[in-house]
Amino acid sequence: MDIHSIYTNGEIGQLAQERFQEERRIQRLDGWFLVKEIRRACDLKYRALPSEIRAAETVRDIVVGIPLSISGKAIFAGSQDDAFARSYALINPAFKVSAFTGYCDPTAVFEAIEPDEVFTRARIDALREYEKTLPFIEKLNQAYALAGDSTEEAVFFVEQVTGHLIPDFKPVLAQGVSGLIATLDEQRETSSDRSKRTCYEAMKIALNSVVLLAGRYAACAHEQQASAQGKHKESLILLEATLKWVPNHPARNLYEAIQAFLLLWQVMCLEQAPNPFAFSVGNADRLFEPYRQMRGSSRAASAALFKHFLTFFNVGDRSWAISQNVMVGGKALDGTDLTNPCSHALLDAFFEMNLPQPILSVKLHRNTPVALYQEMGRFFFSPGVLTPSLFNDDSLFKVLAKAGIEPDDLEQYAIAGCQEPLIAGKDNGNTTNSWLNLAKILELTLHDGVSAITGKKLGLDYRALGLEPDQPARILSGIRAAFYRQVEHFVATMARAANEASRAIALWPVPFLSSFMGGLDSGIDLRDSERQGTRYNGSGCLIHGLSIVADSFIAIDRFLEDRPGQSERLLEALKTNFRDDEELRNYLRSCPKFGNNLQPVDLEARTVALRIHGILAGQRNYLGNRFRPDWSTPSTHLLYGYWVGATPDGRQAREMLGYGLDPLFGEAQAGLGFRVLSAANLPYGGMSGGYASHFGVNPQHFRGATLAEKGVEFRSKVVAPLFTRDPQEEPGPFYLYVNVTTPGTLRKVLAQPERYAPSGIYIMRIHGTFVNFLDLSPEIQEDIIKRLDPESTSIP
Amino acid sequence: MQLNVFRKGFNYSQDGPGHRLVYHLQGCNMACGWCSNPEGLAKGADPDRDPGLFPALAWEVEAMAREARQCLPLFYDGGGVTLTGGEATVQFEAVKMLLRRLKDDGIHTAMETNASHPKLQHLFPLIDYLILDFKHYDDSKHKAATGIGNAGIKENIQKALALHGNLLVRIPLIGGINDSEFDATQFAAWFGRFHTGHAAFEFLPYHEYGRRMWERIGRPYRIENGFVDGQTVAAFAAIFKANGLEVIHT
Repeated sequence: MDIHSIYTNGEIGQLAQERFQEERRIQRLDGWFLVKEIRRACDLKYRALPSEIRAAETVRDIVVGIPLSISGKAIFAGSQDDAFARSYALINPAFKVSAFTGYCDPTAVFEAIEPDEVFTRARIDALREYEKTLPFIEKLNQAYALAGDSTEEAVFFVEQVTGHLIPDFKPVLAQGVSGLIATLDEQRETSSDRSKRTCYEAMKIALNSVVLLAGRYAACAHEQQASAQGKHKESLILLEATLKWVPNHPARNLYEAIQAFLLLWQVMCLEQAPNPFAFSVGNADRLFEPYRQMRGSSRAASAALFKHFLTFFNVGDRSWAISQNVMVGGKALDGTDLTNPCSHALLDAFFEMNLPQPILSVKLHRNTPVALYQEMGRFFFSPGVLTPSLFNDDSLFKVLAKAGIEPDDLEQYAIAGCQEPLIAGKDNGNTTNSWLNLAKILELTLHDGVSAITGKKLGLDYRALGLEPDQPARILSGIRAAFYRQVEHFVATMARAANEASRAIALWPVPFLSSFMGGLDSGIDLRDSERQGTRYNGSGCLIHGLSIVADSFIAIDRFLEDRPGQSERLLEALKTNFRDDEELRNYLRSCPKFGNNLQPVDLEARTVALRIHGILAGQRNYLGNRFRPDWSTPSTHLLYGYWVGATPDGRQAREMLGYGLDPLFGEAQAGLGFRVLSAANLPYGGMSGGYASHFGVNPQHFRGATLAEKGVEFRSKVVAPLFTRDPQEEPGPFYLYVNVTTPGTLRKVLAQPERYAPSGIYIMRIHGTFVNFLDLSPEIQEDIIKRLDPESTSIP
Repeated sequence: MQLNVFRKGFNYSQDGPGHRLVYHLQGCNMACGWCSNPEGLAKGADPDRDPGLFPALAWEVEAMAREARQCLPLFYDGGGVTLTGGEATVQFEAVKMLLRRLKDDGIHTAMETNASHPKLQHLFPLIDYLILDFKHYDDSKHKAATGIGNAGIKENIQKALALHGNLLVRIPLIGGINDSEFDATQFAAWFGRFHTGHAAFEFLPYHEYGRRMWERIGRPYRIENGFVDGQTVAAFAAIFKANGLEVIHT
């Protein structure tokens, strides 16, 4: 029996739509709480065991203990609902930019559960109190103690990283769990290292849990057959048989491969529940294509199955699991295009479902077929439809090679979270481990280390920075050197705190995930903070404020030249947020700004980026590896901007910072051509942690008669100008996300959602993730509208 | 060698084919009252000028060529670099050097000129798409409207029609100056004397996009009742077509 002999492709697609609607009606997510209660019981039950074994037994108990069901609309079993809470801030209507607390409190999640008769206040509080006593929390508190006051005003920030990885499920789909366990048994027998043998044993226990889960779902499917009729009954019979085969055995067709994948994903998320955000699939087209080929499934048949695959990633009423990335396309090391029939089937499924999750990213390169651009036209030019983010393999291969990735691994890069490139199954990048706010550091440097927002002393004072307190002109003329010295000071503290956070999370091993991250070879848990379990390892540092700092340095230069003798006035105006000096603010705003193809300020931005790369290179993470510069600001350009006083570029206190590498909103007025030329100057070769950039593009700039023609036009007018580089040159831009719309259109959608988004879904991109525009908090909706910044991307 | 540039920007298919980087070069040897870029008229940089109004910058030719090379991926749909003004040929030698550098780099070149420079012909091999503005067929009326006569311009247009393979002749239609049916016939008759197989003709109806800039630079705007209606433009097109001239609209 085969799913396609039971249902037509249309029926399979219709079921996926209904399954999604059913999921959106879920108003409570309590599974994560049950998971935590099971974990508490396991802490006691397995307390005598090594931590890896304890973690593995816990995964097994969770899988055995959580309630399971199979929806009547589902053709696959599996759900990640029990791994997520209704707590992701940006899609919470109550979110406020001012809400940043400077502390990542793992017990804050308990506020995301509404007490009721089952989950009583006492039950919630008891678990919360228990969690506060965990060694992990204690260790994390040590990390924040190292950071001191700095995180309160977002000078920098550190956090323990969960999720944010790309497991390699290729071997387990091909060999089955049984195949992997055979490997583990062999490794355990041949290894003389006791701790590795323990890890192998833990991985075996953890892997077996997914077989247990399949067995439980098979029993569920069997039970439900009794009350089912017709095609539904047939599909349950097929499902039961399938679950008895995969994931324990190798998948034999696309249906089995997807089913195996979903259960593996479910256990992976349960292991880190709650909220392991930004686990990513990688190149789903390459993962599934061998299984499509086994039965020669058509594009339409494959797309129908992929619609259920995509639906799986949506959790609850607002799709609370975010930043789950699915990639298609790309090139091989030799330049061959790797687009395959599954790439197209996945694009069909994405377009027809138009879901808030997962995120679609497309890898491009100089030999990307025109057909792929033609197919992307419908995404870019259909209002309210998701748009893929775009990656440039030609550039990114060079960036990663420079960062030490072996040639054979380059084509396996994928995106964890928004845009951070990692090698699937081999790279633990701790992508969101540390966050650096250059604009705040500049503010502190200008004001003797004192915050212009709170008056608190946070940074090094003038004397420590080599500046004379009573010489305002020298403070300004010496600002660059003092600023970099201040950055060095904070980066050193940040690195210590970030490493401590990584050591904290290492107390919580993840044997199941480690099985797909090189653990079968290394015998080391991927979170181990003493020994490296993955082939590649690093720690991310998300850097904020490039355009503010570059624009400010140039404005100071101009000011000293044009208005000698007025330095005190400038410092005072900055302190008082230009309250009594609008004239000076207007002058500063008229100084050249990054993003307009003006050489001095564009080169300043390049210099700032290079210097910061250099300073980060001086630090090492908990395993002695590098901090990876990642110039991305996932809505933190708002959160961190709120804590930055007025800056010499004319920006007022608490206003947003520039997004990622982009010019500050409103400052690039010369159109897309010049913005691209400005961007071309930046040192992408050092941005091994990734970067963010966004174009809000007015669809009226495109004249093609069909969506396909517009897709090709999009390549000519946006993609090629940004991504095309002489192969001999240093790497150029490698990432872009777009929203093809206008501020006017979005305001209409907000004013009349019933008219412009009758389904209740209007997909937009915000940093690396899709969101349902209507789900967002008002402050984030406004940010999306502002940052369309149409003047900066106008095309004649 | 340097060029004074008072503005630059991208343009699509209006000043040559495709997506183009357009440099507006400072200085003009005419003084047309309808000029839409009056800030580019002055030949030299005025030391007291307001940089907001006269942002002319001296650019090294080499830096401009480098910028154009960086723009290669932006020159889609057959695009490239267009030089316009002011009047581009006022800075003849530097323009020649820049055009040569662009050609060496394989960049498509276009130039818009009032066709008055005596050595214009020397630039023909360096220009892929040549745009010649022709304001009036009558020498005295040309002089009255622009400040110079048209003899040299006519000579250059004749040479271009004979020697340049890719030519666009633009005629601004200004009410009361050159917009009568008689004018149309005279323009067409003059062009009809030559082989125009490589040339297209375009009419630019009067607009007042430059009026505010005239006011900002403190000079009087002299044109009154300059607008022409759609019928006039259509009549010009019909008369040109009747004389075997190809009329286009970019």
